[in-house]
Order: sequence, then structure tokens, then C-alpha cells
Amino acid sequence: MRATRRAASGSKLGILTLGMTLLIGSSLVWAMGSRVPTVGTTAEDFQLTDLTGKQQSLSQYRGQVVLVNFWATWCKPCTTEMPAMQAMYDKLQDKGFVVLAVNELEDEAKVREHITQHGHTFPVLMDRENKVANQFGVFGLPVSVFIDEKGVVREYIKGGLLTEQVIRDTVARIQKPDLVKAASLQ
Amino acid sequence: MMKRCAFGFVLSLSVVAPVWPVLQQAEAACGSVTCFVVIGSQQQVPQAGILTFNTMYNYTPMRLLDGTNGVIPAIDQAGRRLILDHHQEVRTITQTVNFDLNYGITDRLGVQVSIPYLWRTHKHIDGLGEEGANGEGELVPFRDNGIGDMIITAKYNVLPTLRSMIVAGFGVQVPTGSTSALDDAGELMESPTQLGRGNVGLIGSVYQTYELIPHRLNQFFYGSYRHTFRNNDGYQFGDEYNLNLGASGVPLERAPWLVLTGQFHWRYLVHDNISASLERSATPADGAGFPGETIVLDPMIANRRVPTTGSTYFAFSPGFQVSLDGLIDSPLTKWTSLYFHSQIPIMRDSNNNLAQGISYIFGVTRSFQLTKSGS
Repeated sequence: MRATRRAASGSKLGILTLGMTLLIGSSLVWAMGSRVPTVGTTAEDFQLTDLTGKQQSLSQYRGQVVLVNFWATWCKPCTTEMPAMQAMYDKLQDKGFVVLAVNELEDEAKVREHITQHGHTFPVLMDRENKVANQFGVFGLPVSVFIDEKGVVREYIKGGLLTEQVIRDTVARIQKPDLVKAASLQ
Repeated sequence: MMKRCAFGFVLSLSVVAPVWPVLQQAEAACGSVTCFVVIGSQQQVPQAGILTFNTMYNYTPMRLLDGTNGVIPAIDQAGRRLILDHHQEVRTITQTVNFDLNYGITDRLGVQVSIPYLWRTHKHIDGLGEEGANGEGELVPFRDNGIGDMIITAKYNVLPTLRSMIVAGFGVQVPTGSTSALDDAGELMESPTQLGRGNVGLIGSVYQTYELIPHRLNQFFYGSYRHTFRNNDGYQFGDEYNLNLGASGVPLERAPWLVLTGQFHWRYLVHDNISASLERSATPADGAGFPGETIVLDPMIANRRVPTTGSTYFAFSPGFQVSLDGLIDSPLTKWTSLYFHSQIPIMRDSNNNLAQGISYIFGVTRSFQLTKSGS
């Protein structure tokens, strides 16, 4: 009889545990649900130090199209797409386009070596605490976020490789309304 | 009531039950739940559109510990009888190949299907006090193989960040395994030795990781709880609590394809329960009745705790994983890893029953991109 009672209380405890697990799980799900900036919303500002020790913020590039690229040296797809980013940065930096390469959780010397070796000239920011990646809902690399002149997220690209064509087309699409407007005024 | 709720809350977070259990029925511990190790790719939620296929081989031997004789009760689920001191355990070996499909529906929501295929050999002496000239019983071997109980799990990545991850899972164990295998004497084998449990099980789980040193040293935790309902034979497997804590790291920066892993595994099984009458084997003290028919202690069919079930097991599992993707540049090795783990018991509460010995696990994991992950 005692065994039966124990078994019954064990089952109740188990079901209670299961219920609590689900409850906590769903609460966390709800709590985490609104973190990622979606296309069409304003990107929250951030401040990070670049490889030269200078403080850089997203808001200082207001008025330009910004490509915020989250990367790491160990991430093969990240390093594969960087030459395309460099090429487009060279071509479009005078036309209101900037690249901010945000490195995730790596040693500064290692990042500097990689950047020097590959001759990248765009600003490289060190996200040492993983804060900006969390702010942008990044949990896999690479992630590229295109932000327009007003600070609004226009494209959020996970994983897929950036090519020169993709960057060119995206920037043109973002800048197009202004160009169209300018053309109509002439 | 408040205390019980608080206890449930603690359990749901840590999956630790501060209870020292009694013992373990060997066969019950030898099912597909043993030798559990955290592989990582199995516990995570893959990115949207990615299918991770994991095939794992698992070898689990069970033998008697020194100083124990392995005399345990018999489960006669066909006759609804629990017969005390009727069996003497000798050995169980379970080999499992687990086919595991893990698919990312979205970047945070995934579904996992685990299909175990089991080979089980078991040897015990049946009919103590009943069979043989001196009631010594007879050696009865048993072997069976086939699909065990499948598990379908829905998983959600609650904390998707680069450095940490928390995945909550809810699984249903489907009774696809057979519960009608016979031993070499033509008798229905006991429920714990069958490949399937005979009824649905519910499994809640939590998986957490944190990169202590980014991309070099990773800490992980896995906790799970299973509840299985009573089957049609009147047998109910005891609830199971699992807790894994470990770390994995890349020892050589020049060889990022090699990952070493060490993890501690703690498992607690609640007593099984059977709806049956209670009998005992005859003993020399019964005089003329020995050897002979079993003696009825309580003819009433009632839910009874099976005394030699329930256990605590604590083990350490060293292992390594080799990423073939990083080692060989070929389409055949893309997103493919091999791994090997051994599980070395540190503490076993076998309570006169068979105890799990050193177990071996090896497998291969490969991911496939089925649909493009979107922007």
C-alpha cells in the first residue's frame, strides 16, 4: 500500500516537474521573442572600438547605407565573403556606403593579423562581450544587416554568402527611392 | 503543498532529485536510455532547413558486481504475478543503433525523431525453489532484436546567442517496440527485458551550453525527465531523471577539427510498478513443499512496486569528435563528424542486481541543407 502511494506521489511529482519545465520554457520563449530587429524597424544604436582603438557608433553613419557584417576568423563562409565586401566598399564608399565588420569574441591580435593579411580597409569593430550580436539576434555566423540612411533595417541576411552583385543590388535598392526622387526634381 | 511546488520547480531547472534510491532491475536499466552521452548536434536546434542525421552505436554490458548473487523477483506479466526471489541474474548485453533525425523548422524551432534498433541478449536462472532437484532453477537464455520505442521531440531554442544556448524540448516516446518476445523456454519474457515499453512516455528536457573560451572551450548541461504510462500488461516503468554536465574543447589551435569531450552522467530511476498478485519462491524452510510451487502471499491484484528496480548511476564519459569537414576537403565529408565515447561507471547502486559496466559509443553525424536558410 505504501509502495502504491509512493508510486502515485512519484508520478504526480513527475507530471508537476514536466509541467514546470514547459511553463518555464514557454515563459522564456515569450521573453526572448522580441529581441531580433526585423526588416522595417529602426536599428538600435551601438558603440564599439575598432582596431585602431577609435570608438565607432552606428549612429555616426546616419545618412549612409551601412552594411553591418558579423564575422569571425574561424568562420569559413565569413572570410569567403569578405573580399566581395572589400570590393564594394572600395567602389561605393564615396557614394554613401559603409561596411562595419563586427568581429565576435576573438583575440584582437588574431583579428588584426587576418585583416592585415587580406588587406581589408573597412572598419573592423570588436564585439568583445557579444553584446551587439545579441542586440541584433545573431546566433550563427555570418549575418549581414543592411541599414538605410535613416537607420532602418532593410535586409537581414543569415548564412548565405554575400557577393559583389548582392551587395551592389541591395545598396541600389535601398538608395533607389532617393535617386528616383532626385531624378524627378531635375 | 508549497514545498512540493518548490521542489518541482527545482527539479525542472536542474533535474536533480535529492533522493538516494534503492536498486535497479538490470534489464530495465539496459534499454535504449542507458549510456546516454551529449553529442551536441543531437541536442541543438539546427538552422532552418538543415537536417542533421546522426547514427550512433552503443554497447552496454551488464554483469553482477563482486559480493552480490543477483537473486531478484520474477515478473510474470502474463499471469499478473510478482514472485519474490525467483530469478538469478547472470548477464545482459544491449547493443543499440540509434538513427536520429534532427530538423530545423525555423532557426529556433526544431523537430527530432529518434529510431532505436536493439540487439539484446540476456541470461538468467529461472525458477529458483521451483525447478531442478534442489530448487536450483534452470538457466534460460534470451535474445531479441528489433526496433525499440521511437521518440519524437519538439525543441525550441530559448536563448539563441553566439555564446550561450538554451534548448527546451518536449518528447513523446511512441510504443513501437515489441512487448511480446519469448525466451528460449517459450515463456513470455519479463517486461523490462522487452524491446519496447508498451505505452507512451513523455520526456521533458533542457540543454544549455556556454562558450567559456569562445570557439575553444565549451561547457554544456543536459537534463531530462521521462514518465511512461502503465502498459497493457499492467507494467509501468519507473520515471527517469538524467543529468549531464561536461565540457568540450579544441586542444590544438592548428587542429580545430579535433574536439575532446569529458562529461559526467548521473541517472536516477524510480521503481517500476506492476499490477499483480504477490508470491514468493519456496525455500528449504518450507519442508516438503521445496522444491515446489510458489507460495501466494497476497492474491489480490494490486499496483506493487518492483523491489529490484530503481537505481542510481554515476559515470564519467571521455570522448573525442573529429570533424571530417575540416580535415578532408571533399563533398563526401562536408558537415560530417565522427565521434567516440566510453562511459566509465564511478558509482553504481546495483543492489544485488546486474550493474552497467564500461560502455562504448561511437557514431557519425552529417548535416544536409534541405532548404535555403532565408534572409
